[in-house]
Order: sequence, then C-alpha cells, then structure tokens
Amino acid sequence: MSLATNSPAHSSSSDDFAAFLAVDLDSHSSDSSPDEETEGDNNAESERIKRRKVEKLENSEDIVHEVEEQSLEVLSKQQLCSHPGSFGNMCIICGQRLDEESGVTFGYIHKELRLNNDEINRMRNKEMKELLQRKKLILVLDLDHTLLNSTELRYLTVEEEYLRSQTDSLEDVTKGGSLFLLNSVHTMTKLRPFVHSFLKEASKLFEMYIYTMGERRYAFEMAKLLDPKKEYFSSKVISRDDGTQKHQKGLDVVLGKESAVLILDDTENAWTKHKENLILMERYHFFASSCRQFGFNCKSLSELKNDESETDGALTTILKVLKQVHHIFFNEVSGDLVDRDVRQVLKTVRAKVLEGCKVVFSRVFPTKFQAENHHLWKMVEQLGGTCSTELDQSVTHVVSTDAGTEKSRWALKEKKFLVHPRWIEASNYFWKRQVEENFTVEQTKVEQTKKQ
Amino acid sequence: MFFHIVLERNMQLHPRHFGRNLRENLVSKLMKDVEGTCSGRHGFVVAITGIENIGKGLIRDGTGFVTFPVKYQCVVFRPFKGEILEAVVTMVNKMGFFAEAGPVQIFVSNHLIPDDMEFQSGDVPNYTTSDGSVKIQKDSEVRLKIIGTRVDATEIFCIGTIKDDFLGVINDPSAA
Repeated sequence: MSLATNSPAHSSSSDDFAAFLAVDLDSHSSDSSPDEETEGDNNAESERIKRRKVEKLENSEDIVHEVEEQSLEVLSKQQLCSHPGSFGNMCIICGQRLDEESGVTFGYIHKELRLNNDEINRMRNKEMKELLQRKKLILVLDLDHTLLNSTELRYLTVEEEYLRSQTDSLEDVTKGGSLFLLNSVHTMTKLRPFVHSFLKEASKLFEMYIYTMGERRYAFEMAKLLDPKKEYFSSKVISRDDGTQKHQKGLDVVLGKESAVLILDDTENAWTKHKENLILMERYHFFASSCRQFGFNCKSLSELKNDESETDGALTTILKVLKQVHHIFFNEVSGDLVDRDVRQVLKTVRAKVLEGCKVVFSRVFPTKFQAENHHLWKMVEQLGGTCSTELDQSVTHVVSTDAGTEKSRWALKEKKFLVHPRWIEASNYFWKRQVEENFTVEQTKVEQTKKQ
Repeated sequence: MFFHIVLERNMQLHPRHFGRNLRENLVSKLMKDVEGTCSGRHGFVVAITGIENIGKGLIRDGTGFVTFPVKYQCVVFRPFKGEILEAVVTMVNKMGFFAEAGPVQIFVSNHLIPDDMEFQSGDVPNYTTSDGSVKIQKDSEVRLKIIGTRVDATEIFCIGTIKDDFLGVINDPSAA
C-alpha cells in the first residue's frame, strides 16, 4: 500500500482522476445552452450524485485511502509552495491554479508569464552575479529620438517626398542601410548614424534591453531593423503594453538590479523614479514631423538633406561615456563587485564635466524664480560646476541670452566667458565642456536694443 | 493524449450554399470552424476525420439561415496532469524555458530544471550541465512531465517539469 502511494505512476493517475473530475464538473457548469435553467438543475443534481458516489467509495474500499493520502500529500505540497510566479494562471512550480493575479507581468517574454516580487529579486541577484562575472552591466535603450527617428507616412512633407525613392530595402538591414519604409506599421524610419557600431560595441559591455513607449508591434519592427540577427535583444524588447504604470517607464520589468542598470533615453520625465540611472540623450530629429512635434520651426535634417555626423554624433559621444563608466565600475571602484553602484560612478563621471567652472546667470531665470530650483542651475551642479548669484573674480562663466545686461558687460570687460545657456545643455548632452566660442551671445541684438 | 471521438455541432448555413454542393459546403465550413479550436473538455481539435451524420435542417425565422446538427469524428489532443509529453523548445531564458507540443505551450520554470543544469546566456541562451554533456537550447527536443494545464478558447497552457527520472533532452540540435 505504502509502496503504491509513493510510486510516481500512481500519484499521477490519481491526480489525473481528480483533474478529470474537476474538468468534467467545470465544463458542465460552464456549458451555456439555450435552456440554462433546467441544465443548472441537472447539474446540481448530478454533482450531488457524484458526491454521494465518492462518499460511498470512501466508506467501503481502501483505494479511497490512497486517494485521501494523495490529496493530503498534494495539500501539504501546496502549502509549502510559495507560488513564486504564474504561467497561464498556474503556479510555475506546483502547477496549481491560482485565481488572484499577483506580481508583475512579463508580457515581453510571454504574455501569460507573471512573477512575484520575491522571485524577481531572486532572479535579479542570481543574474547579477553571473553578469558581473562576465564583466557586463545592463543597458536600457529607448527607441524614438534616441536610436532612431520615425514618422508616419501621412506626415511626410513635400520636401521629404524624395526620401521615398531613397529607402533601403529591408534585406539591406544587415548591410548597414539606415532609411526604411515599413508599410506594415505605416512609418518611415531613419536609424541614427553610428547606431549599428554603437550596438555592436555596447553589446560587449552590456546586456541590452529596448524599452519604448511605442506599441509592441512597432517595437518589434524596430528591433528587427536594429538587430536583424537577433544577437542583442532576444526577448528583451519592452513596449508600452508591458509597463506597470501608465506614461512611465520603470525598471521593475527589467531583470536587473538597479545598481547595475544604465538607461539611455531622451525623455527625462519618463523615468521619474530612476533619474540617477539615466543618461539623457540629445533628441534625434530627422523628419520634419518630429521637429514640429517638439515645437521647432527650423528645417529638419531630412529637408536639408543632411544628417548627424557619424564620427562625433550623439551616439559616438555616449558610447565613450558608457565605456568610461564601465571601465571605472570594474577597474577603479573598490569593494565587492555586487556592492558597487553604477549610479555613483555615473555621478562622479558627470561631475567632472564642468569641474572648476563657476557660473553666474544673467536674465536666464524669471525674476521671482528661486534660482536654486531652476533646471539649468541644478544641471551645472550635477556637472560639477558651482553656481553663484554674485559676481567676483572667481567666476569663470556668465550665462546669458543677452549681451546687454550688466553682468554680461562685466564678463566682456573682465575677459570672462560669456556664453548662451545652450552651452550648459550641450555640455550636458556631450558629457564634455564645450568650446565656449561656439556659444557666444549675439552682439547684434545688443545694438538693436540700444537703438530702440 | 490523443483521442478519436465523435462530437456534435449545430452548423448555420447561408441559403446561397444550398444546391447539390450543400453537403460539401457544410463539411468545409465545419472544418474551417472547428479545426484548430480548443474546448476545456476535449482539448484541441486536430482534424476532422469523418462525418457520422447530418441531421435535418431547420430554417431560422427572419434570416433564412438553416441550422444543421452535424455529428462528426475528429482527433482531439488534450494534455493531462502527470502525462509525459515530448516537446520542442521555443525559447530559453533565465526564468526557464518554453516549449511547444503542437498547439500546447509549455513552460518549465528553472525551479523544475535539474539543479545541476545552469543557465548560460549569450547568443544562444541555454541550460547546460556542469560537464557540458547535456544542453537545452532553442529547437532542442525534450521529454517532460505535465504538472498543470489550462485550456482556453484557442490555446492550451501547461506547466511542465524535467526534474524527474528519464526526463530531459532527447535530441540535441547542436550535436546533429
């Protein structure tokens, strides 16, 4: 008897029996037929009969013992199982049906897969060790305006119509084409210059995820363009449908510890909880519709038949930063690998950009605005510079949009740098103190104002 | 497990299909409607193998459609808890692997993969034993045991395990 209970064949058959009964009952009750009322009555009756049968069995035969023992065993198993996640509403360990939906859905891996927080943490820790051993960190990449620029076909302007004849065929993806017409999602897509080399280089240092606010279908199409051989992003494409919060991107669906994740995105607001992981990208606007969307009235790159530079565009610059952060993380930070925090590294790298600069703003903030709270002020501090409201000899830069202000004239007189606010933004995007001469404040304006 | 069973279905037919091809039209519509669907009770209808009986049609008021009760034989596939299945691996990741046996999607979590198999990421993510002799990757064929099933209208999901005797890889695509 006891031998029989332990044999797997037996356990499965009785499980089967129970499952079959359950299914049978289920299907009876869920069957919808035109005369439901009578059906329902029948059902209840048949159930009663079945129950009676079971009871009889229990009373008379010792098979029943076995069934009982089995169900006890199953019960104890279920109590032990913590149900760390579910697939199709079944526990991934014991196979039991779970009614309540809990945990986070990992729709980008499989639409039916959900994991609880404990399990996610367990995976993260395990993953981290293995990643760090291979000297890799995690990189989360945004699509639109970061790696590429797309426009809906109907928004193509007259001046852009020439592009239609210049698109690369989809077979050219592997050969480095960069302009694609995707009829299936009604878009034309331009890959940012250098993106292929960027991904290739970055994949050596990082595990890469795509995380976009676009729809899943669009995301997959883009992933196909960026990664035709599926080397980089296999089942790591996260789209709007997979996030846990509306209009927000979160690292909760990324299987990596936050202390080892870097994010490349052009929209800071999407990552309110993870600003410290974020490397802000300069937006890539190739199409006119994209420029208009962000309120620029200038000609787009496509209309000018121009493009970002391959050799010192945004991706090239950021790749250098990524390499630097990676190098510092693995070679210069002391302490256990697991305890190191890439956010700290990022902070220190960022703080070297404007090191030694003392900045005074002139007519940049609205008069009643608390200067310390302005984003430019904060930006300078993050970049390692200091800000001040008072002029003195230690000041190195005066930031203004107008060369006629008192402080601006002081800067000219004292031979300090007088720069446009864009200088700060550019330094922030390029992770490098920009050449001040390229950001001078226009003099003509001053003359005009004087005349007036 | 496969079963060869007789099922019944009420088919609605548009009057334009009437005529000497009525029966053929009815059967082809039946195949279109039924093959590839699932029911919680019978599982996945693989193929219709024959028609047992077509009953008398009943004209519907107002529409002119006619309803025929059709009895047909078909092969159905339904996985059971405890059943041993052979399946093809479709995706491997750190949470486990997904496999397919026909229409059935099976997930084997890393808890239910033998402890001596470790996940290896890379171009071809896989689970490998420490000595490298056994490897589970995409397109591997595995023998697994079903421990939980759920049947939807069009899909069947299962939880499987390979943490038991005589389960695991039965053919390795990389070795072939």
